[in-house]
Amino acid sequence: MIRLWLVQITSILRMEMRKTFFARRGLWVYLLALAPVVLFAAHSATAPRRQARLARFAAEHPVSKWALLMLRLDMTREQVLKKLGPPYAAQTQIYGGHRGQTVRHDRYYYTDGEVEQILTFVDERLTRINRVEAESLSNDSTILATIFQFYYLRLAVFFGCVGIFTNLFRGEMVDKSLHFYLLTPMRREVLLIGKFLAGLIATVVIFTSGTALQLLAMLWQFRGPALTEYLHGPGWGHIEAYLGVTALACAGYGSVFLAAGLIWRNPIIPAAVVLIWESANVFVPLALKKLSVIYYLQSLCPVVAEPENDMSLPLRLLLSATEPPAVGFALSGILALILILLVIAALRARKLEINYSAE
Amino acid sequence: MSEGRIIFDNVSRFYGEVLGVNRVTLSIPPGITSLVGPNGSGKTTLMNLMSGLVRPTQGKIEVLGIRPTQPERLFRVLGYSTQFDSYVRGLTGFQFVYSFLRLFGYSSKQCRELATKAIDLVRMGDAADRKVAGYSKGMRQRIKLAQAISHDPKVLVLDEPLNGLDPLVRAETISLFREFAAQGRHVIVSSHVLHEVDLISDQVILLSNGYVVAEGKIHGVRSEIEEHPMQILVRCDRPGALASQVFAEDHVVEAKVVDDGAGLLVKTRDPDRFYRALNRIVMGGIRIEGVAPTDDNVNSVYDYLIGNEEPTR
Repeated sequence: MIRLWLVQITSILRMEMRKTFFARRGLWVYLLALAPVVLFAAHSATAPRRQARLARFAAEHPVSKWALLMLRLDMTREQVLKKLGPPYAAQTQIYGGHRGQTVRHDRYYYTDGEVEQILTFVDERLTRINRVEAESLSNDSTILATIFQFYYLRLAVFFGCVGIFTNLFRGEMVDKSLHFYLLTPMRREVLLIGKFLAGLIATVVIFTSGTALQLLAMLWQFRGPALTEYLHGPGWGHIEAYLGVTALACAGYGSVFLAAGLIWRNPIIPAAVVLIWESANVFVPLALKKLSVIYYLQSLCPVVAEPENDMSLPLRLLLSATEPPAVGFALSGILALILILLVIAALRARKLEINYSAE
Repeated sequence: MSEGRIIFDNVSRFYGEVLGVNRVTLSIPPGITSLVGPNGSGKTTLMNLMSGLVRPTQGKIEVLGIRPTQPERLFRVLGYSTQFDSYVRGLTGFQFVYSFLRLFGYSSKQCRELATKAIDLVRMGDAADRKVAGYSKGMRQRIKLAQAISHDPKVLVLDEPLNGLDPLVRAETISLFREFAAQGRHVIVSSHVLHEVDLISDQVILLSNGYVVAEGKIHGVRSEIEEHPMQILVRCDRPGALASQVFAEDHVVEAKVVDDGAGLLVKTRDPDRFYRALNRIVMGGIRIEGVAPTDDNVNSVYDYLIGNEEPTR
């Protein structure tokens, strides 16, 4: 019996793969997966030019790293100029204030060749210091973590799974071709597993490739000791974790949308509801958090994407993972969630009827 | 008894408030059985119920002793060619038949052999390697039939299988159905084309508005319609003399000399008694050239029982 099920699952995979990977209407899934790769590749490609530019400014307007670190807020513009000398670039803006008064904003740019420091003066007082480390691995790693958690998991993998998994059953109902499967000596549960695995393989291949390419594009610009140090340190662990979390996200969201495709006719409505639910995860009590995929995924991510002070409130809320569970709990939690959703989907599949006229 | 039959036991199916079929009780023996009725009469629902594509709201169904809720057993014995003119994208005719055969658990070699055999049976060998999407309607109909018969089922369910076929292929396909039935299998066919139903069916099930209005061998069904006496045309040399004699029979309600003057059209409530009486009359010297019922066919039965809802004649 198990041999028969394996043969049936393999046959389903063969037919579904063709449809999932090479469907013209699934092209947008590839675009979602590859969009951040383009960003990182462009960033890496322009990195040497940016470094050369900062080195040139540092040579023309030499400033010591120590002097940059000694700056304190509320210093006057004069004090700063006395300490550091003229900046390599400056901007001045005058804003209209209360009762006809004006407010002057000055922005001074300094660099020691490695770090770019942007100083903001409001009415001659230093009010803000922005340090932008030119090309550091830790900086890029944090950017990747932010893009990964905010865009990749919540949007790219999410909508990719909406497209692929809801189509496994619902798409065939619309195409009026699902009955061919139901007219074979195969248990509905086997059909469900076969289709789930087909969707899972497709999404895992597409999105883990996207993750791997992002990592590759990010690391590409770092050669020599920085890269060696990273790979001998946390590097490989990070890479494994990112790939693993991507695969788990595909399985998690995949099971959600496989079940949704069997329960609801229009996948847009459940997708919108799940998107809101996943985004509102930070606001709900702990017991309800466990019913969301992102709750488990966030704590499995290798680099914490801390919200920065200048981020907008919605973005800060999305990135704040409150009370992240332990890795073991997160792993077993998401697997249990996937299992529950697959059982619900299987129960639904057993009662599935062919009534194309209602589609 | 139910082992070799298809049984519907008080089966009803509603789609929300819309009636699909209501209180259907049937016991279908092997042979070619035609489901006849106008659009929306419940033919497809009956076929979908038989194959488990829809479930009954109430009642019980068994196909050769197997419940439709057991697909792993049912589809070893049942093949269904549905009315849907849709296919899995991107497959050739051969891949289409082969791929679904793989789900039966056959080896790759067995699947190739079975697929080739089925495709040859429907005369699609030459087009087997072309994409189904490029087929004509008739070819798609035939490849669908090949897929339904590829695993050599004992019960073949065919929803409008002759739609889109040209006359030659139509004749070949009917002969294929006959061959299947002659091997003691069930062939359940739905059709709008009454003269074809008449031509191919061993028995008919007449449906109207979700109800079975008649079932059985077409002649048996006809003889049970008492409000419409059977019409029998007797070709003879002296129709006037014959008329005067048949009127003496109490079951004869009407006798009319036909326009060419070479025959008598008799309406009788009891054909068996009429035929016996005719034997007696012949002994009296009237020369009979031929006797044939004129409304003992699906067309007439359909007219009498369902009437104004027109299928294709």
